[in-house]
Formats: sequence, structure tokens, C-alpha cells
Amino acid sequence: MSEASTLAWRPAHQRPPLLVRARERVGRSRTAIAVSLVVLAVLLPAAVLVPWLDPTAATHADITAVYSPPSAEHVLGTDGAGRDLLVRTLAALRTSFLVGLVAAAVATLIGVTVGALAAATVSWGRGAVDQLLMRLVDAVNAVPHLVLGVVIVAMLGPSVSSVITSIALTHWTTPARLVRAEMLSVQGRDFVDVAIVGGASRWRVTMRHVLPQVASRALLAAVLMVPHAIWHESALSFLGLGMPPHLPSLGAMIQDAQVAVFAGHWWPAFWPGLALVVVTLAVSGAAALLRPRERAL
Amino acid sequence: MTRRPVLEVRDLGARLPRRDGGHHLVLHGVSFSVAPGEVLAVVGESGAGKTMTLTALLGLLPARAEVRGEAVLHPPGSGSEPVSLLGLSERDRRRLRGRGIAHLPQGAATALTPVRTVGSQLRETARALGHGRASAERVVRAALARFGAEEELLGRYPHQLSGGQLQRFANAAALMGDPCLVLADEPTAGLDEDRAATTAAELRRQADEGRAVLVVTHDLRLAEDLADRVAVLYAGHTVETGPSARVLGHPRHPYTAALLAALPRHGLRPLAGEPPQAVGHVHGGCPFADRCPLVVDRCRAELPALRPAPGSDGDHRTACHRAEDLAAGPATSRPTGIPATVVAPPAGGGTC
Amino acid sequence: MRSIPRLVGARLALLLPLLALVTLVVFALAANSPFDPLLARLGSRAFSMSGSELEALRMAQGEPSVLAQWATWWGDALRGDLGVSLSLRQEVTQVIAERLPWTLLLMAVALVLAVGTGLVLGTLAAVRSGGWLDRVVTGTAYVVQASPVFWVALLGMWLFAIVLGWVPAGGLTDPGSDVVTLGALVRHLALPAVVLGLSQAPWFVLVVRDTVREELAAPYVLGAWGRGVSTPRVVVRHALRSGLLPMVTVLGVRVPELVTGAVLVETIFSWPGIASATVTAATSVDFGLLAALTVVTTVVVVLGNLAADVAYRLLDPRVGAAHE
Repeated sequence: MSEASTLAWRPAHQRPPLLVRARERVGRSRTAIAVSLVVLAVLLPAAVLVPWLDPTAATHADITAVYSPPSAEHVLGTDGAGRDLLVRTLAALRTSFLVGLVAAAVATLIGVTVGALAAATVSWGRGAVDQLLMRLVDAVNAVPHLVLGVVIVAMLGPSVSSVITSIALTHWTTPARLVRAEMLSVQGRDFVDVAIVGGASRWRVTMRHVLPQVASRALLAAVLMVPHAIWHESALSFLGLGMPPHLPSLGAMIQDAQVAVFAGHWWPAFWPGLALVVVTLAVSGAAALLRPRERAL
Repeated sequence: MTRRPVLEVRDLGARLPRRDGGHHLVLHGVSFSVAPGEVLAVVGESGAGKTMTLTALLGLLPARAEVRGEAVLHPPGSGSEPVSLLGLSERDRRRLRGRGIAHLPQGAATALTPVRTVGSQLRETARALGHGRASAERVVRAALARFGAEEELLGRYPHQLSGGQLQRFANAAALMGDPCLVLADEPTAGLDEDRAATTAAELRRQADEGRAVLVVTHDLRLAEDLADRVAVLYAGHTVETGPSARVLGHPRHPYTAALLAALPRHGLRPLAGEPPQAVGHVHGGCPFADRCPLVVDRCRAELPALRPAPGSDGDHRTACHRAEDLAAGPATSRPTGIPATVVAPPAGGGTC
Repeated sequence: MRSIPRLVGARLALLLPLLALVTLVVFALAANSPFDPLLARLGSRAFSMSGSELEALRMAQGEPSVLAQWATWWGDALRGDLGVSLSLRQEVTQVIAERLPWTLLLMAVALVLAVGTGLVLGTLAAVRSGGWLDRVVTGTAYVVQASPVFWVALLGMWLFAIVLGWVPAGGLTDPGSDVVTLGALVRHLALPAVVLGLSQAPWFVLVVRDTVREELAAPYVLGAWGRGVSTPRVVVRHALRSGLLPMVTVLGVRVPELVTGAVLVETIFSWPGIASATVTAATSVDFGLLAALTVVTTVVVVLGNLAADVAYRLLDPRVGAAHE
């Protein structure tokens, strides 16, 4: 081998061994976040504006065009009553999204209150209140979400408020645990004691130091909960236990589409579900902006 | 006297691609050799390229890395072809792992998987070396005996063993295949005096049994006690190599002298400054120029080549333009900061 | 592993208070219900009573408090009497006995499919990290994770039952037959189990992929590889083996989601399990059945979590064992 050739740069591997390849770092995808934001920016205004611009479009039935496949006239096709699927999907998306948003907010509110209460009372009488609240959390978590959700709607009767209650009462445990853990960890830190010795009241310390920390975590939890809330509402509507029939809902659309599937038509079921998938991915992707560089699970 | 070395490394370079298209040079030109029965210590500060050299030899550089130079393994015994360790195919490298080359990674205690018993892992190693079920048992027993590992502990998990016991099992597993080259990465890092001494003694024994042992370490005292030969690295370059008594007793490179000066017994004078972050310093001359007390203009302009040190027989080599001045003795050239006890003429008194 | 029986004992001891609390919540909800509790309590006996008899009963018993109703229910339940289901016209205990096995079968098969998929695809994706296989697997996992199971079920039904006709569209037995044969069972179970398993698989795929990737960077993997152990063996017997623990934790978390999925899958495919019965009970506000099924599904979840925790202890020699 000549001097020159051995001094030339050459690849270290013919084919990198598996162990080397597996140890390569895989970067986070910034494009995923960007795409999510774009999708949300397009979809949400469309969902809000279209039904508002043409309120009857969603229920306009053309019986001559029942179950027509996607075409130039009806981009996504029509359903069993001849209604255009694009408009219906957007209207249902709006309802589902709004319900999901409100429900997630309520659930977070309940969760934050319970969590804060638990953390604050941890030193009262050996933490009896805290223990009781945590047992309640365990109990609610032990019941499968949809089973409890179904029971709640069954007991309260089908309506928008019972759906929101159902979602709120099954999803408050996550923010509760989060807020409690966060508050306990901050409370235990030295700077709190230092501030109190320095004369600040416990209340003041909580407000100025603990709350901001907790608030950002709670906000992230709330945003991430929206897709779950939408999912829960859709599942309930699918089972016929959710929104009242006059309100469009993605779940109800899929329920109606069962008949279509038996007849061999895929599109009445496909588009509403796809809308759910897209919204879920978009919200989760965009939430990555709020997330302090943790790993998604 | 000179047997053919088992491992010959000449001008080994390695560079990693950067995201902006350029290259990050991690090794510039590393040269040394290890003969059978010999312990070579590769020393230098962290970041000098010691571990990177091992990584290159083991074929574990990142996927898009590039290399230059030569690293050749000459398995002892007639009829064995020399093997170039750079760019080796996975199939050929697999045959070397465990059999030709043994790797003792840093912190030997972590070399065994925590969720499996040490016995199952030893047996697995024996099977991987090509033994059938029956002979695997015998090979494992033999390895246990050679390394003083207790047979009744085979059913235990790593966390159930003491540090010393685990070390013995790890050694047994790594050296079961009777390799001709042993690569040890910081074998005494983090160990207390007793364990460090035992480890050093074990490595000595491996060499005495005829193997070539390469030890990467930042611990100069280990190098002094254990190594037959030393290679000093700085910023991805080899700056001095030779028999350890000479290199560590009469260093002919300012960096080596400075490393020795930083030892407690020479007065604990650490060297000022930091090793360069990136190899491939701006001026293209000697990498040590910016921290060297003996620096002159020529140092920055021209990269010194590794040549025989003045007053030696060719086995002691150094890459320094001022090597003659360093050898001339304390009267003419004691550079500031390097005590006389470190730099001494080869004849008569000295620290070895 | 002396700590495992203690773990089991502690969990089971907590089960009864947990169920008590859960049912209390359910009864409290019922108290806010616009539906008549007296009819619910009387069950089928209400049909044979006249209006004035019912009125008299209502006056006599008054309106018992939530706690009283709850206590009565538990008193009956512990004696084996769970009441009668109005909607299914059977004793509740009979409903559970007949339907629970089918749900457990569905969930078990789905879980095996989900875990198996996770182990295989997760390991493959980890090993070819950054490559096209990894990207496809991870991308698909995220999409499936975001997809509602009832949507996937319907599309699966459209493709495999209606269009391709490979499997029947629902039920447990072939039409016209009352007997459950093994062949028919497999054909009817295939689509629901695959759909339910697929809906949970992404979590397993992602956790296995993440942990195996982490384990591959561990020093002991390097050590095993350096000793000459073949790469596939290193991946499976060292990296994957160490990475099983987080997967078992995920398994525990996924059990309630599996039940939730079963509610939807059983409904769509007319699978005669307790999950679909829950929907029937809710639609007809069959309170007795609803309360009992809430208890049953909660027990399933608790036992599932317990099984996962036991498996965790068994798999990790560092937990529990000698360091007690």
C-alpha cells in the first residue's frame, strides 16, 4: 500500500455495524410542528366559518344524490340522506372541537383545584385530606374511562352538558396528580423556606413562585387533553349516548355511516374519522411547542 | 529483541462530518505499536484522542466517519495474515471480537448485563466463541479458575456481587477467548487503591502470558508502574513514544514534562490553559504551541515530525522542534514551570 | 421473590375499599339522575304491580338516601344477588357469567397481538434507527394512536368483511347456528381482536423502540458485543431483555384503555361480551346492570394492573429480591 493512499481519507465502515447505526442520534422533527400549526390554522377557521357562512349546507339533503362517491360536485361524497360530506364534516368538527375545548378546560379546572387542595393540606393532620383525595383519584382512574363516561351520561341523560360533565369527571385526575406533584416539589424547595423566614407569608410565596410554575404545566396538560376530550365525545356520540341528534357530531356521523359500510360505501365513515385523526395529530404536534423538550409518550 | 508487533498503528487519523458540511478532526496522526508480552500505555489529558483511538480500532466510529493511515493487527503464530482494522468488514470483525481482540471497557463492572445471571452470560460468551454445549461448560470453568472467579456465584446477578467479584467475572468473560490483543479503557478509573492494584496486576499477568496489552489511561502513575512502553497523545497527535522508563524519566517533549510536573511528587504544578477543543488548530504547526513554555516561531509554522529523540537509540521518539534543548540539561534550558527534577540528562541521576 | 405475595395481598386488600368508593360515586350520580330509582330497584317485579301499589310503596319507603341505597346494594351483592337486568331480562349474575369470558378472550388475544407487534416492530425500528423502516413504523404508530378505534373498526369491517369477504361482519356464530365451533370462533374473533390489538399496539411499539435504542447505547451491550456475541443475540438477549421493564409498565396503563376499546369493538362487531352489555345497559338506563358492570370492569383493570406489577417484579431481579 503506497504512502499516498494510506494517508488519504476513506470511509471508516463499508457498512456501519448495527450497534453504530443504532447509536446515532435522531433529531426532533421541526417540520412536524410546523405542519401541525399549518393544519390547525387552516382547519379550524374553515370549521368555524363554513357553517356560519352557509348554515343550511350541512343539513341540505339532496335525495337524488344519496351515497354518491367523491366527485367534483361533492368533493368528499354524500351520505345516506344526500348531504354533502365536506360541509357536514366541518360543521361536526366545529361542534366536537368546541365541546372538547370546554370539557378540557373544565377538567383542568377541577383537576387543578383538587391537586392544589391536596398539596396545600399535606401538612394538616397527617395529610388526611390529601390521602382521601388521592384515594378518590385512584378510584376514578381504576374505572375505564368510557365505562365511567357511559355511566355518567346514562345517569344524567343525553345532552351537551352531560357530555361535558362526563369528560370532565373522567379526565380531571391527570391534571390533579400533575399539579399536586409540582406544588409539592416546589414547596419542598429551599427558597420557599428562605422566603418565609424572610417575612413573606406562605400565601404570597405560593402566589408568586409556585403558581407560575404550576400554571405552565397545567396549560400544557389542558392542551394535550383536548384531543382526548374530542375522542371521548365522539365515542359517546358514536354509541348514541352523546350529543343530542340535532347537533352535528363526528361520532354520530360515523355511527350513521355503519349502514353505509354494510352497503359497501366507505366514504361516509372515512372522512369524519380522518378529521378526528388530523385534529388529534395537529393539536399534539402543536403542543410540542409548549413542551419543555421532554420526550412524548 | 524486537519481535514483530501485534498491533501497528501509523498516522491514524479520524474525522467526523459536521452538519454544515465540514469535518471535525478528532485524530490527526496517531502512531504507536504493541508487541506480544508488552504493555503499552496511551496517556494524555481527556480529549486528547485516547478513547477515540480505541473506538477507531474497535470499528465503532460513527457511521459517516472517515479515517486515514493504518492500523494493522498481526496475529502471532505462523500462517496468520495481517488484518487491517480500518474499514474491516463486519463479518471479519465478528471473528476477531473476543477471539483476536478483547475489549475491557471503562468500568468493567458495567460490562455485564444486569438482568441476567453472570453464569448465563459466561456460557453465552463461550458459545459465541464457537464451543458446543459441553465444551462451553469446560471453557467457562477454566476461565473462572484462571481469573479467580468463584464458581458458586454463577447463578447470581451482577448487582448481587461485590465490585471485586464482578471485576473477576467481567475479566473472565472478556478474556475467555484467549485473545492476542487486549484493549483496556481506563481500567483503574474510579477504583480504590487495592482494586486498582489488583487490576494492574491482572493486566501485567495478561502481558506476561504473551499477549499484547494496550492500556488507555490518564493516570501517569499507572503508566509508570505497569507499562513497558508509553505513547503520549495531545490533541489527536502522538507527541512522544518510547520505553516508559525513558519517556517518563527523561521526557523529550514539553507536554510530557508538563504532565509529569503536575504530579504531586513533582510539586503539583498543573499546566496552564486547556487542550484545544478542536483538533486542527489554526496555524498548522505544533498543536501544543499555544501552551508550550519552549515555544518559538518555528513551532507555529511547522508541524514537528515524530523523530528519534536526541541521545536515544531510535526507540524513543518525540515530535518537538526543541527536543535538543530539552535534552541539553537544566543549566541551558530549564524552561519556566518545569522543575529540574523532571527534566534531567539521561546519564546518572534521574527519577527512574 | 418474597415480596410478590405481599404485593398481591396488599393490592387485593385495597380492592374492596376501592370498589366501595367507585360504587358510591356511581350511586351519587344516580341520585342526580332524572330517572326513577324505585323502578330501577324493583326491577322486573315492577311490571307486575299496579300504579297504586307502586305509589303506596313509594310513600312507605320514602326516598332512601344515597348511602342507604348503596349499603343495600352491597348487602345484596355480597350475598350473591346483583339484581335483575331490565334490558337483558336476565339475572345480572347470569349476564356476567355468560358474557365475561367472551370479553376476556377478546382482550387477551388483542393484548397478545399488541404486545407482539410492539416487540417485533419496536425492536426492528430501534435497530434501524433513523432509517426508512424506523420512520414508517414510527409515523404509522402516531397515526394509529390518533385514530379512534371505532373508525378503524368500521374501515376494517368494510375492507375485510364487506369488500373482501374474508371474515364475517360480526357476531360470534355463523348465521343459523347456535353452536360455537372452534373454526367459526376463530373467524369471528379475528377481525375484532386484530382491530382492538392494533389500536393499542402503537404505545407498545413506541416504548419498545425508545427503550431498546437507549439500551443499545449501554456499556453492557458494548461489552457483550465486544465478547463476540452475535448482534441479533445482543439485541434480543441483552438490549431487549433489559428494555422489557418499561413495556410492562405501559401494559399496566393500557389495560383500562383495552376495556374502553372493547366497549366500542364489541358494539360494532356484535360481540357478546360485558363491554357491549354496558352500552345496552346505559342506553336503557338499566341501573342494576350498570352498577354491576362498573364493578366488574374495575376489577378487571385492578387485576390487570396487578398482573403487570407482578410481571415487573419477576422480570427485574433488582427489585424486591435480595434487597429486602
